[in-house]
Amino acid sequence: MIIVIIGIGFVSQLNLFILSKCWKSRFLKDGAEGISKLFGKRMIRLYAFIGLFFIFMKMAIFTIGYSDIMHQYIFPSINNNWLILFIFLTSLYLASKGMEKTFQFVVIVMLSTFWIIFVFIPFLFAPMSSIHDLYPLIPNDPSLFSWKGVLLIWSSLSGPEYLIFLKPWLTHDKRQFMYFTIGNMISVLEYLLLFIAAILFFGSNYLSKTLYPTIDMIKYLQSPVFERMEIIVISVYLFYIVFALALFLLFFYGLSRLALAKWNLQTTRKGYLFCAAVILSSFLIFYNFLWKFSYKGFWGLDLEIALSSLSYLIIPIILWIAIKRKEDV
Amino acid sequence: MKGYKPTSLLFVFCFLIVMSGCSPYTENNIVEEIAPVIFWSIKNDPNGQLSITTLVPPLIKETKQTFTLKVDLIKQGGKEFNLKYYRELKTGQLRMLFINKELAFKGIRTLINTLFTDPDVSSRLYIVIVDGDFEAYLKNQLSKQPSLDYFLYRMLKHYEKYNQGDMSIVNLHEFMKQLYSPFQDPILPVFKADKNNFTYEGTALFHGDKLKTTINNMDDQIFQLLGNDRYVKLLALPKQKLVLGRVRSKVEFRLDQTTKVLHVTDQINGRLEEYQGNKNLLNQSELSSLNKEVEVYLEHETTELLKNMQKEKVDPLQIGLLTTSPFFERMTSKEWKDQWENIKLDVHFSLKIQPVTTGNKM
Repeated sequence: MIIVIIGIGFVSQLNLFILSKCWKSRFLKDGAEGISKLFGKRMIRLYAFIGLFFIFMKMAIFTIGYSDIMHQYIFPSINNNWLILFIFLTSLYLASKGMEKTFQFVVIVMLSTFWIIFVFIPFLFAPMSSIHDLYPLIPNDPSLFSWKGVLLIWSSLSGPEYLIFLKPWLTHDKRQFMYFTIGNMISVLEYLLLFIAAILFFGSNYLSKTLYPTIDMIKYLQSPVFERMEIIVISVYLFYIVFALALFLLFFYGLSRLALAKWNLQTTRKGYLFCAAVILSSFLIFYNFLWKFSYKGFWGLDLEIALSSLSYLIIPIILWIAIKRKEDV
Repeated sequence: MKGYKPTSLLFVFCFLIVMSGCSPYTENNIVEEIAPVIFWSIKNDPNGQLSITTLVPPLIKETKQTFTLKVDLIKQGGKEFNLKYYRELKTGQLRMLFINKELAFKGIRTLINTLFTDPDVSSRLYIVIVDGDFEAYLKNQLSKQPSLDYFLYRMLKHYEKYNQGDMSIVNLHEFMKQLYSPFQDPILPVFKADKNNFTYEGTALFHGDKLKTTINNMDDQIFQLLGNDRYVKLLALPKQKLVLGRVRSKVEFRLDQTTKVLHVTDQINGRLEEYQGNKNLLNQSELSSLNKEVEVYLEHETTELLKNMQKEKVDPLQIGLLTTSPFFERMTSKEWKDQWENIKLDVHFSLKIQPVTTGNKM
């Protein structure tokens, strides 16, 4: 699995290379206008409809998954619907500040969550772990190799494809590929660290029996002042969740305007709130009628993993092909 | 826009209060109304039920009493305590679990799993096997030592933190990891209890979730050297009439897969703290003959201990993990257990004593 993570990191690097090529294109600078020049208005509406579905699934799994963890570890007796509502309202507030403010929030998110990686380092040197737990490095048995695992890692690396839509708000820098590479490297190293630490901490058999291994690991840490470390760490992750949710909320609003062919009109508060109400009620329906009953073998998780893998794979390639074709003409 | 600021701040504040648990939807956690449970002691009853005991109330000035209940299920115990005591018992501070030895022989997987899945219970819960009547000890000791439960916890905590090799202390997570590992069998400490005493006896070796055998005295000291802490603060060797202090061991296990021999080499460093024999330790040759004597003795004892483990088919030292290698598939747990029985042993000790006494002979 270690080899698989590194391998997927390399493939992702290739993908980012294509993405950085697209990034240089002049079409992206003008936002929706530019992209519509690439594909034509009719196609853009179709793409926007499909995109709405992708983004909705991503948001839903993000929010509900996180609120589920919160529910299980911090507030076991509170009704989960409340947690979903609170998380959503917070990100609704952030998103209402506008696109620029929202992604400036990334600095706060970065500062408040980056240290969590270092929390896992002591597990690498714990006295009860032995390097033999990691063996065999390359499983010879093909039945152990799972496509689901590969997809999971690939989808966890996904996300940079959405940066394309942020282009109009970002400065134009020549060193884009370098930034992508650094980001990719950090993600791959983080997953490697988490994976190795979890295997050493649990051993492979026990690991497969735990639902949230990283949180159980944090739970095991002890500080003389505060005993339940996981409460702090889970709460800090709220920054990240709120940021991602707010960003996707804005994407969702923008895309729905595209899909309904209203993108020449001014954005309105009414439209935004209507959009948010639709999303929130779908979350609650999604949670109460689908998630709650089929907890672990839930198709929604698999679907989300498949969708984000797909979007990470095809968006850069499609864009690149489209740009190449236009530039030839 | 400025006029909205206080209102919106008030809203945020209300949300924070609701989120942090002061809402009608959360459980009752008012300090005056709850009694945190610090330990459960569980033993089996002749008629198939479980007998579960705890001490209430902890930490407040009220005379303590032991509560014992006979129940079919563990969680049922927690529920029924609440029906006869005016405070609500909460398991958030559960730190110790005392399991009776007879119950451990039958298997403790369901017991451990129940506690493990409780989100309130920390995975740093200490698990202890008790041989004897723990309830009698509690009742008798309580008059002399009011915060008995806390002292027991401090003791376990102390020996866990400063791995001195005096006790094998195991917590819930370590037990679970060992239980699920295909190449390692769990261990737990065994304490002997009677009316007046509660003392450490040795280490219990498990096969799966069932207790197989317990090792004590010399065997337990050697077990600490080989696997658990690799350090013993005082290694007493009554047969050689000497005590070694601050003994550090550097163990190397090498499993030769083709000849099926396990080579154990152990380098031991220690200070000679006490000697009551009649050798002149200032004489180099007499010192080295004593050294040799101890080495031979330790080799013999270690071989016996390992043979005993093979006979019982338990592997608490993770010898099975040595069969894994980076590029080959692991064998199954059963294959290893069959192999482990027939592996030959080759044990070598090399001892380095620092003599700090002057010779006893004048």
